[in-house]
Amino acid sequence: MTTRTASHVASDRHGDPRAPLVDGIERLTSGNREADYILGGGFPANSINIIMGHPGSGKTIFAEQLIFENAGEDRPILYLTTLSEPLAKVVRYLQGFRFFDETKLGTQVIFEDAGAELAKHGPDALIPLLRRAITTQAPKVIVIDSFKAVHDLMPSVAERRRMVYEMTALLTAYGTTAFLLGEYTEDDLLLYPEFAIADGIVEMSRRRLGNRDERYFRVYKLRGSRYLEGAHAFRITHAGLDIYPRLVSPQIPEGYEPSTERISTGVKGLDAMLDGGVWRGSTTLLAGPSGAGKTTIGLQFALEGARLGEPSLYMNFQENPSQLMRTIRNLGSDPDVAQAQGLELVYASPVELQIDSIIVDMFRRIQQRQVRRLVIDALGDLASAATDPQRLHDYLYALVQHFAVSGITSILNFETTGNTIAGNGMQNAMSYLSDNVLLLTVDGEERTRRSLRVLKTRGSAHDTRVQEVEISAAGLAVLDRA
Amino acid sequence: MQKADAGRPRILIAEGDRNVRDLQAYFLNDAGFDVEFADDGQSALDRVRAAAPALLITEILIPKIDGLALCRLVRSDDTVGDVPVIVFSILAAAARANDAGAAAFLRKPLVESTFLAAINGVLMKSNAGATAP
Repeated sequence: MTTRTASHVASDRHGDPRAPLVDGIERLTSGNREADYILGGGFPANSINIIMGHPGSGKTIFAEQLIFENAGEDRPILYLTTLSEPLAKVVRYLQGFRFFDETKLGTQVIFEDAGAELAKHGPDALIPLLRRAITTQAPKVIVIDSFKAVHDLMPSVAERRRMVYEMTALLTAYGTTAFLLGEYTEDDLLLYPEFAIADGIVEMSRRRLGNRDERYFRVYKLRGSRYLEGAHAFRITHAGLDIYPRLVSPQIPEGYEPSTERISTGVKGLDAMLDGGVWRGSTTLLAGPSGAGKTTIGLQFALEGARLGEPSLYMNFQENPSQLMRTIRNLGSDPDVAQAQGLELVYASPVELQIDSIIVDMFRRIQQRQVRRLVIDALGDLASAATDPQRLHDYLYALVQHFAVSGITSILNFETTGNTIAGNGMQNAMSYLSDNVLLLTVDGEERTRRSLRVLKTRGSAHDTRVQEVEISAAGLAVLDRA
Repeated sequence: MQKADAGRPRILIAEGDRNVRDLQAYFLNDAGFDVEFADDGQSALDRVRAAAPALLITEILIPKIDGLALCRLVRSDDTVGDVPVIVFSILAAAARANDAGAAAFLRKPLVESTFLAAINGVLMKSNAGATAP
């Protein structure tokens, strides 16, 4: 059986001390790394699970990915279609996914259409059909798609309860992990007997958002196991489900102490304003109107990191990499050299932004390259990608905590509508969360005058004066301190 | 005592779950065994004493005499003490089954290959012991 213990999953997931673990429980992988993480390592082996969701929510694809990833030469996997979708239709669309493996069909993965038998003999035909499958095929996994269609054939509550009880008793006696798929709604949770007997319940949902849809994966129940609560966004791709586990705040490790190391911002004169640079692991909110120099400072900070051999990541939602490379050249640096030294420029289109995917992608990059410096340009784009202000706030809080614990020094750019930081809810929240707050302003009629002011530094002295800055071919510099 | 004769060895099973019984009967018959069931520990003990089976398989959670007590009673019996016992239970009780004298412990649910492998292993060992000088 393709099973593993939860600890295997935790070890390859950011080293997150909050990874849900239950020791000693044998697991069946969902076939999806991120879903396994959410499930605390996968579904408990020999359990009965419900995968619920509206038509088109992704249930069948999730189940298909699961069966092909678990298929092996030990015992087969049985996929029973009932009265929801004809077998031919299921298999036709299945072939478009990368996890589909035709060589496994008929031996390691067995598809059977129970629809005709159920239509002829009624829902009671399911139990002998399952018993026959167990005794003749010995399946390690059984998927019934859709079980709700079988359920709906039964006219009375008493019959439904009896049938569900008998099926549960049979599936519990035998060493198999069962998945009951169904077009259930949240209201059905309290009404349908199968939810009472289920060991695990996973919901796939879809929410319309303007011209696009957002999909969410949620675990309602997982007996004997912790799991990552909440709604986790996902997309359907040719590889199956691409799930983005909700970011949670890291547990502060025992013995964790904020760094006392100062690092240079790479901006002439700014380090002096900050009493020698920013603390390593600190988060700096860099606010200011358009054209004030936020991107320039962010790039200088990232370039300085690369120059010092620190892997640096520049997450940008406004300028594509070619535009950014031109900006880097204008600052007198060679983008190819900078990238060779450890600078990574990442562009995500603001049109297709989904905050969960951005955050997960960012963390993957941070983990893969052991990033030490990070710039997000700009927070406002992240805000527009978030459908729920509370979710955005939770994300930002968790981000700042992760950075602090991991020693990642970050600059978060935020575009203001004028020369003031007050009046915006997110800015206020970020000012509170950030260790340092810098405000850039733009004034002047005959000549553009840019200024920089340090509004806050946590645990450090700073220059309280407004300082004029200038952007030249060498980058942005603080005039009085340069 | 030669329990597994040239014919179909008889296995006595103390088990209350109908579905488990059905599956055990199917797989064991298919593998060449005769199967007899007992509803509780007392009747299982009576059956063992009346006609010693090749093997006794018992759940722990059975009425009147629990499976571990049944195992101890069989193993300490002067006449049928060499009947091997497999404890097959929903409980995680490998150590307790071993202490009770069980030849093997298996945790439910039933998986045909594991189940048959354990039975054949125990019977082979038992027969080897019975024929040893």
